[in-house]
Amino acid sequence: MTGATVSYILDPRFPGGTSSAVAAELEVMAQMAQLRVYAIETKMFKSREIAPQLQAAFNALDIEPIWNPKTISGDLVVFHNPSCLRFEEVFPAQIVARHLVVIEHENFVHPTGQDAFDAEHCHTLLARHAFVLDRTIAPISNWNRDTITRWQQNGPDRLTGWSMLSFDWFNICDFDMTPPTKAPQDRRGRHSRPGFDKFPALEVLEQCFPPSATCNLILGGDSFIDQDTTPAHWDLIPFRGMEVRKYLEVIDFMVYFTAQSFRESFGRVLAEGVAAGKIVITDSETARAFGPAVVACEPAEVDEVIASYIADPERYANDVRAAQTALTQYGPEPFRKAVNPLLVAAAPPAVAA
Amino acid sequence: MILLCAGQRDEQNFDALLTFAAALSDAGQEVVIDSRSMPEQVFKNQKYEAAPFLAEAADIDPTTVIVLGSQSIGEETQTLLRSLRLGPEVDLLLIGRFANYQDELTATNRIAFACGHAPRCVNLADFQPHPLLERARAPLAAPVSDAPKAPTVPGTKARVVVYLPPTLLENPSVLPQLNALGHLAGVDLHLLSNSKGKTHIRNSPYSAISVFSYGELPPRTLARQTDIAVFFGDAVPGERMAAFALDVMAAGKVVVDCTSDHAFITTGAPAVAGDPEPAALSAFLSGMVLELRDEIGRRALKNDWLAQFDIGVLLGRLGLEAAPERAATRGPHTLFFPTNGNGLGHAQRCALVAEAMPDHANPVFAAYPSCVDLLQSRGFSCQPMVSRSADHSDEYSGDLVNLLRLRAQLQPHDHLVFDGGYVFDSVYRTIAELQLKATWVRRGLWQAGQVHATALERERVFSQVIVPQEAFAELNTQYSFGPKLHQVGPIVAQSRLGADEARKMREAIANHFRQPCDTLVVTMLGGGVASNRASQIQLLASLMERRANTLHLVVAWPNAVIANGVYGWKNTKVVSTKQASRLAQAADLVVSAAGYNSFHELIYANAPTIFIPQYAPYLDDQEKRARAAHDRDIASLVLEHETVLLEREVAAFLDDGKGASLTTAFENASLPEPGNDQAAALIMSEAKS
Repeated sequence: MTGATVSYILDPRFPGGTSSAVAAELEVMAQMAQLRVYAIETKMFKSREIAPQLQAAFNALDIEPIWNPKTISGDLVVFHNPSCLRFEEVFPAQIVARHLVVIEHENFVHPTGQDAFDAEHCHTLLARHAFVLDRTIAPISNWNRDTITRWQQNGPDRLTGWSMLSFDWFNICDFDMTPPTKAPQDRRGRHSRPGFDKFPALEVLEQCFPPSATCNLILGGDSFIDQDTTPAHWDLIPFRGMEVRKYLEVIDFMVYFTAQSFRESFGRVLAEGVAAGKIVITDSETARAFGPAVVACEPAEVDEVIASYIADPERYANDVRAAQTALTQYGPEPFRKAVNPLLVAAAPPAVAA
Repeated sequence: MILLCAGQRDEQNFDALLTFAAALSDAGQEVVIDSRSMPEQVFKNQKYEAAPFLAEAADIDPTTVIVLGSQSIGEETQTLLRSLRLGPEVDLLLIGRFANYQDELTATNRIAFACGHAPRCVNLADFQPHPLLERARAPLAAPVSDAPKAPTVPGTKARVVVYLPPTLLENPSVLPQLNALGHLAGVDLHLLSNSKGKTHIRNSPYSAISVFSYGELPPRTLARQTDIAVFFGDAVPGERMAAFALDVMAAGKVVVDCTSDHAFITTGAPAVAGDPEPAALSAFLSGMVLELRDEIGRRALKNDWLAQFDIGVLLGRLGLEAAPERAATRGPHTLFFPTNGNGLGHAQRCALVAEAMPDHANPVFAAYPSCVDLLQSRGFSCQPMVSRSADHSDEYSGDLVNLLRLRAQLQPHDHLVFDGGYVFDSVYRTIAELQLKATWVRRGLWQAGQVHATALERERVFSQVIVPQEAFAELNTQYSFGPKLHQVGPIVAQSRLGADEARKMREAIANHFRQPCDTLVVTMLGGGVASNRASQIQLLASLMERRANTLHLVVAWPNAVIANGVYGWKNTKVVSTKQASRLAQAADLVVSAAGYNSFHELIYANAPTIFIPQYAPYLDDQEKRARAAHDRDIASLVLEHETVLLEREVAAFLDDGKGASLTTAFENASLPEPGNDQAAALIMSEAKS
């Protein structure tokens, strides 16, 4: 324990990977500092329930979130996903801390060059309500950092008063590693929340999940269900319509491409696939965050990649194991090591000494 | 091709799509709406407005996609756009009223995710800061004219359209006050309300006032028929009415704002402030507006607020070029559209008038399948129309197709001649929307319950009404009045069969059926749909069976229902013929229904006839017509239940020489000159105007 008090601010109703990442982080951080969680309700997630992963983490750590506080204090205040303030006109609380770190789960700019959200508005709102010594932006990946830098270059005064964290505040991937199958088959799948950002164009999806595959399981394919244009050979399950664990049991290849106009900021879903002992295939940019842990290719090459692995089960097994090893760079220990100095610096002097 | 979508799939957004599609189409753009954009519930009027724009996904190949109401884009719209697989060459445009940059980004990203490339955003707030309706989904836009489009013509009335919210109609003094306004010299009054308000007026003592329901015609079409629009109520009454008001102002006409808070004027719109009290309207119009309306219109056209809403400004923002006005692709022509009725009567009448037109007129037809053969055999080009069917999803589904066929056939300089009692929506809308010259051929002798304001209100879109008279004066009643009403003599076939031709025809019939034909009886009792005449036909068949050398021909109209038993008689034959009139002239006895055409053909041919009238709520008063002939002793009348009388009358004609006694009566009867030529001349003259 560092002796520092770390206060988290989040809207715990965010569906999908971000909530899973924060849940994993809370478990690690609870071993390092005194924890408080402030929950805010933003318009972005209006009418949604608390993400089950976060609720489970709160229960496990015996955390009772403080809802809609007027004041938020801590030695270190960590605000996850400030993009959730995009629709707010005011930030409803005052933040008092030594150090405010905002974890940027969303890219600032899309591949099309379009702003992903009004980042200036979100950060200005926060800055106006933060009585802190330091304000820091924390990207979660190389790609995420690039988008922030590009966005800043488009407006010279953007993020004045904020510094950029030197390391990536990555999503902790603390998964149990499942060994690869010895006899891979052409059983493909993908999972994500059902947003249109998460799915590629129809023709790409058709390339990734062809009629020749034994299985084409799409979990979170809500917007394709009951559509005339949806191929009959796709097995579509709505978001949360099946346990991810069970879905992973029936596939050997995770094929994950997103909308051309969107890119994952981290791609926690890919890490889940690797940990489950699957070969994960994606585009080269998304693959950047994971290095050798995932296979990068074009959609048109997916069939060939899969065929080559089916023809060589040993290579399949070796590559999955290598990917799982590579994934340890995002484990709890590297995170602890990276974050600890921040906590030490923020801790009250008497305790720090 | 521009594909129009709305951010959300619901009734209001769909209505906005229709309004904007019409505006873009008028500006020369080719516009389609994906049929999947239709919400669960689509009203009849919306279907008529949508039909010209709807397309199936497979037929949509847009160069531009415009999404209206983009401040709120739902997943259904994203799904629809994704399914179209739009390439990067397709220009994506979002129109919305965005409160801030984030709203714009949200819309942009939603469409970019669905389509794979980023759209352009057009924020209406940037150039239309004070719209008539802040919450409008469709951008308000109209072609702002250089000068008033319908300046005052001395001696003509101003078409004053008064919008009334239904709540105002609850005040019992309002309708009498407005009714009085209709009597003001120089005012052609029309009320405008929602369907509830229209029903209220129709059920009131003031049902004769012309009323539009506000979905009845597209706003732009309604504006063309308006010189002065007056609005009562608490606010700008919805998107359609806002579009209507803008179209009126943009045409250099007058909007009088009588809303309680002057909701139009406070936005900056160049409307004239009126008194919210309906009682004051009459004095306000007569004291100021009627006299100054051209000047008010001219000043409105110079107004800066109005200039923001010029469609040219919006097209510029969208990067679209204003297309030149579509030129006519051929010379003007006259298209006849006879309703199907319960036989061939309407088509026969139209054919007679068309035949009376000069050769160069070259009229064409659109007609229901039962009449196509008849018209084509007389040398007319004929577009088949779709009849009503119980198999259609809506009772007016066929008419929706007919709307498209009429629009495809007609161009704005053409002349449409409609013959029928009920003016179909397809006809009403095509005339109004294409601004056609139009003639309504409307024969009379309606049954008492058929004469009401609703049946006659669509007369307002026709430039003239031709009323073919009945042969006998007591049968002629006028249902409406005014300079566009023209009465002409009975429209009737005038070819008479000579004695020699009649003899040859009987010989031909005898040869055809290989039976001697000393006596020829022809029965024409209708199709069996309006009135079941199976028992009368069976009775006649049994009577004729007892007679030697007798042929009894039962004429079966297209779609006729003939009982199987009729085919069992030796002397009775069922025939389908286009020569029924000539056949009747060769007969010793005709037993006929008393529809307008059959009746007049038989009377003018002096044929020996027993009339058995048909009865149905939608038919004219056949009994009254038959009785007029009976009272003059030129025909017999047998009612449907008078079977004994029918037997006696048949014997009287065939055995007792009653036919010969009719001849004298015919000689004494004075029948009016047929009106075929007069009707043809009126149509020619209207076509040239």
